[in-house]
Amino acid sequence: MSTPTSIRPVVPAGPQPVAVEPAPRQPARWSVRRARRRADDQPPRGIVSDAERRTPSVRVALQLIHATLLALLLVIGLGPILWLVKASISTTQDTLRSPMALFPSGVDWANLATAWTRVHIDLHFANSMIIASGSWLVQLIVATTGGYALSILRPRYGPVLYWLVLSTLFVPAVVLLVPLYLTVLDPPFLGVSLINTFWAVWLPAGANAFNVLLTKRFFDNLPREIFDAARIDGAGPYRIFWSVLLPMSRPILGVVSVFAFIAAWKDFLWPLLVLPNPDVQPLSVRLPTLARSTELDVLLAALMISALIPMVLFLVFQRTFLRSAGLSGALKG
Amino acid sequence: MRSIRKAATAVSAVLIAAGLLAACSTSPGQPDAGGKTAITVVSLKPGSEQSAFDAFENQVKQFEAANPDIDVTSQEYEWTGPTFTAQLAGGTLPTVFTVPFTDGKSLIERGQLADLSQYVRAFGYADKFNPTVLRSGQSADGGIFGVPTAAYGVGLHYNRTLFKQAGLDPDKPPATWDEVRSYAKQIAERTGQAGYAQMTQENTGGWMLTSLTYALGGRMQVANGDKVEATIDNPGAREALTRLREMRWQDNSMGSNFLYDWGSINQEFAAGRIGMIMAGSDIYESLVQQNNIKPADYGLAVLPLAPGGSAGLLGGGTLAAVNVKASPKQQAAAAKWIDFYYMSKFLKQDAAVLDAKTLSESKQPVGLPKLPIFDKATLDQYNQWIKPYVNVPLSQMRSFNEGIFDQELAGEPTAHTQEMYAVLDTVVQAVLTDPGANIDQLLSTADSDVQAILDRG
Amino acid sequence: MRTWVRRGGLSTLVFLLPLLVIFGVFSWLPIVRAAVMSVQQTNLVTAPKFVGLENFQSVLADPLFWTAVRNTGVFALIALVFGYPIPLVVAVLMGEVRRFRGLLSAIAYLPVVVPPVVAVLMWKFFYDARPDGVFNTILGWVGLGPYRWLQSATTAMPSLVLEATWAAAGGTVIIYLAALIGVPAELYDAADVDGASIWQKIWHVTLPQLRGVLLVTLILQIIGTSQVFLEPFLFTGGGPANSTLTVLLLIYNYAFGSSLGGDYGAATALSLMLAVFLAALSAVYFWLTRSWSTS
Repeated sequence: MSTPTSIRPVVPAGPQPVAVEPAPRQPARWSVRRARRRADDQPPRGIVSDAERRTPSVRVALQLIHATLLALLLVIGLGPILWLVKASISTTQDTLRSPMALFPSGVDWANLATAWTRVHIDLHFANSMIIASGSWLVQLIVATTGGYALSILRPRYGPVLYWLVLSTLFVPAVVLLVPLYLTVLDPPFLGVSLINTFWAVWLPAGANAFNVLLTKRFFDNLPREIFDAARIDGAGPYRIFWSVLLPMSRPILGVVSVFAFIAAWKDFLWPLLVLPNPDVQPLSVRLPTLARSTELDVLLAALMISALIPMVLFLVFQRTFLRSAGLSGALKG
Repeated sequence: MRSIRKAATAVSAVLIAAGLLAACSTSPGQPDAGGKTAITVVSLKPGSEQSAFDAFENQVKQFEAANPDIDVTSQEYEWTGPTFTAQLAGGTLPTVFTVPFTDGKSLIERGQLADLSQYVRAFGYADKFNPTVLRSGQSADGGIFGVPTAAYGVGLHYNRTLFKQAGLDPDKPPATWDEVRSYAKQIAERTGQAGYAQMTQENTGGWMLTSLTYALGGRMQVANGDKVEATIDNPGAREALTRLREMRWQDNSMGSNFLYDWGSINQEFAAGRIGMIMAGSDIYESLVQQNNIKPADYGLAVLPLAPGGSAGLLGGGTLAAVNVKASPKQQAAAAKWIDFYYMSKFLKQDAAVLDAKTLSESKQPVGLPKLPIFDKATLDQYNQWIKPYVNVPLSQMRSFNEGIFDQELAGEPTAHTQEMYAVLDTVVQAVLTDPGANIDQLLSTADSDVQAILDRG
Repeated sequence: MRTWVRRGGLSTLVFLLPLLVIFGVFSWLPIVRAAVMSVQQTNLVTAPKFVGLENFQSVLADPLFWTAVRNTGVFALIALVFGYPIPLVVAVLMGEVRRFRGLLSAIAYLPVVVPPVVAVLMWKFFYDARPDGVFNTILGWVGLGPYRWLQSATTAMPSLVLEATWAAAGGTVIIYLAALIGVPAELYDAADVDGASIWQKIWHVTLPQLRGVLLVTLILQIIGTSQVFLEPFLFTGGGPANSTLTVLLLIYNYAFGSSLGGDYGAATALSLMLAVFLAALSAVYFWLTRSWSTS
């Protein structure tokens, strides 16, 4: 957790909140899969028993509560987003004068095109993608190779190293803000400032102790016999890593990937500091600048486009997202 | 599912490759690439109209044609405190950049600007500058480290359309602060928009409070030997805040937003939601380029100054400076760019005409009221040269153009200016958002806070 | 040496290389550097000077420090009041839904995936203090307002929390929901046999079973809220009159707020103070999760 990711106050699905997953005995039935099955199927029962459900008063109350819940969730959760969609294709005057009316002077589709091309949302969107992909890759490399070495290869100095990695979990990102900035300005051995390059975001993202912890714990619980067998068959450490370990690690890689991608997409303060050049800024950094100079209708269109992409990703990969988000809840297994 | 994931992997691989390339190509100011001297220069503010950027690129081409051994890359730029610090510390400032007058002295003292004396002397106008203007870009021993490119005085910008809607005569802008108040009230009552609004954020609150204080006869600092004394707790400042409070809380004529910085107040003003604002006389260009203002809406008047000798008009300006880390060759090339883009138009007819022509062809504003960087005669001469290309509604700025030269210009406070402004932001915000704010107490607290900053040196 | 290589010492090191380099350069080195810088005076221009605890003293003497601490505490407190019980209630209710639960959790989680910057800029518009503002229009329908939202020192902070809660509560709901599913059915069955009412089951079965998760989310939320930056930075810039200046915003201002080079010593000193506080909380969190995962 050593990158100063922008931290949401109320515990997001960022890297921080997820708790240690339970120690699974058999990796094939790892708790994530169990959790998924439980979420998919009808749970055996909840608080209200079947007998109680049959009581008319309880049934009516439950239905009433559910209707209210659905309505509230729709209004509060979805409402602002729907409003943004509406506003992104309304004229500035409509949005200002009567923000809650539906298109009093017609739909203005041009906003979207203007935002995409003239305000260069396309460029910043690409930057966001590049930043997220790169951070994701770096995190994955560090976590898998490090987890493999610490969990399977087990050098003698492993425990000390693991402890050093874990200890960074206790150092909040904010402490590193300034010194990390200075490090990126003048990285050791390189002699070239990383400012205004994507490396300045990618590399620090890799120093995420939480990922190492997750992968190492997962690897710890893989049956050792498989690796022993592979070794007897003559597979070297590299081959074992590539052909045995990684294929078995899909679930944990999925979880790490979701965290990595979301965190990179949301990150604000760090890229704001290290990417002063507008041409390389991601959406999150660019939008506030644009907000001060772009006409409202186009700005709202830009906001809509920026929100749409992660939302679509979420709806497509909903299960992985929710599973990751619920991981910390599964800590009791 | 798997094919999606595969595709995603492929896409991200491509993106990463693209990222590597982009990352490689973004290191600024590669020196002396391909036998040419490469420099990066600041262009326009972020979010400016494409046509404005086009005009800028045309000027870059003209410069490169005249200087085939120089390669110019441009970078959009808006001076704000935090981004500038980060760029300064990070060494990512372009070869040529601009800073406000207020920061010139400290940057020079800290050795962060390149010495441009020899170049400016070679261009032949080192001794033609208005000495008070040049001083902000000079070191203690008179070396030129920053070239003044523009000077502004604070003016009263107003929306003519709102004036008309409110039943006011758009050709008769307010001439006293009492009139500003009554006009604002009338606009707010009759149009429902803010009659008057004030900047309050990112040090602009302090900047504008200082302007208002100057106009009412106060000053924020006095030099006392080599010590500077904070005089924030002065009658002018008290009157300034009292006037703001009356407009805000008695008349309710200041709208409902009191967290404005330079960019956002311009945006609101250009969108026709504010009757009057105080701002530097040079904002029209930005109102056009960034905020799409309707020219017919715009009016500019001189700031009313309170009667009595002590009232003054706060003025400031912009220095063009060269990155001290640039190679000597780059510094020379940078100086040429400053001469070409910022300076020579004021002194040479062909340069003035070319500049005006290029801008007007891209429908960029030409002929805005300026304050002299050299002397008044030079400025008049320049205005004569560009006359055929003037495309801004000069008649709507008549009050300013006629009145500005009769006003007593006073420079911005010189010691720890931006830090002092930051403290004053809080004061203005408190008065505008808290009906029970105690002006006397706010001023005396601010006074001691600023004194502590000044004493730290 | 040769036996070390033959035993795979080298390949182990190769696998550890990414971790060593990345953590070394971007985590361990900066941590050490932070400690060093906190006792130095440095602006990156002049050579750093050892000043002992002066940076800490000057931070503690800064009146803005106490303002920031108070504001951050207020933010954390209001965030707890809004963001702690509401997701719990929603999750408990949602746990009883038999149909469309997937849809419900997706809707609840949707705000979480909206990029924070987008959410803040959007809400900034919602908070428009004119009577025509979005929220003022809506509240106007039921005869309330208009409110000043961000434009008043008293309502600015709650407004920030409201948006933050909207943006993050869905995540908490999902965490609770996952924990609710984990409550063993037998416990409810036993409670039914004992003739417990629904309320009694919630009180005596559900909540005790959620105790662990509740405590963890509580600590995580405090850790998160004490580092709040984005909302005050983008909504109000710390205003009006410093009423939303938070600790992290103050650190940012120390380091990057002045156009003439930052006070990096004060910035790191304040960061370290915050770090000690957060590290204590993290330790508690870590200890809790560990003791549960092993029990």
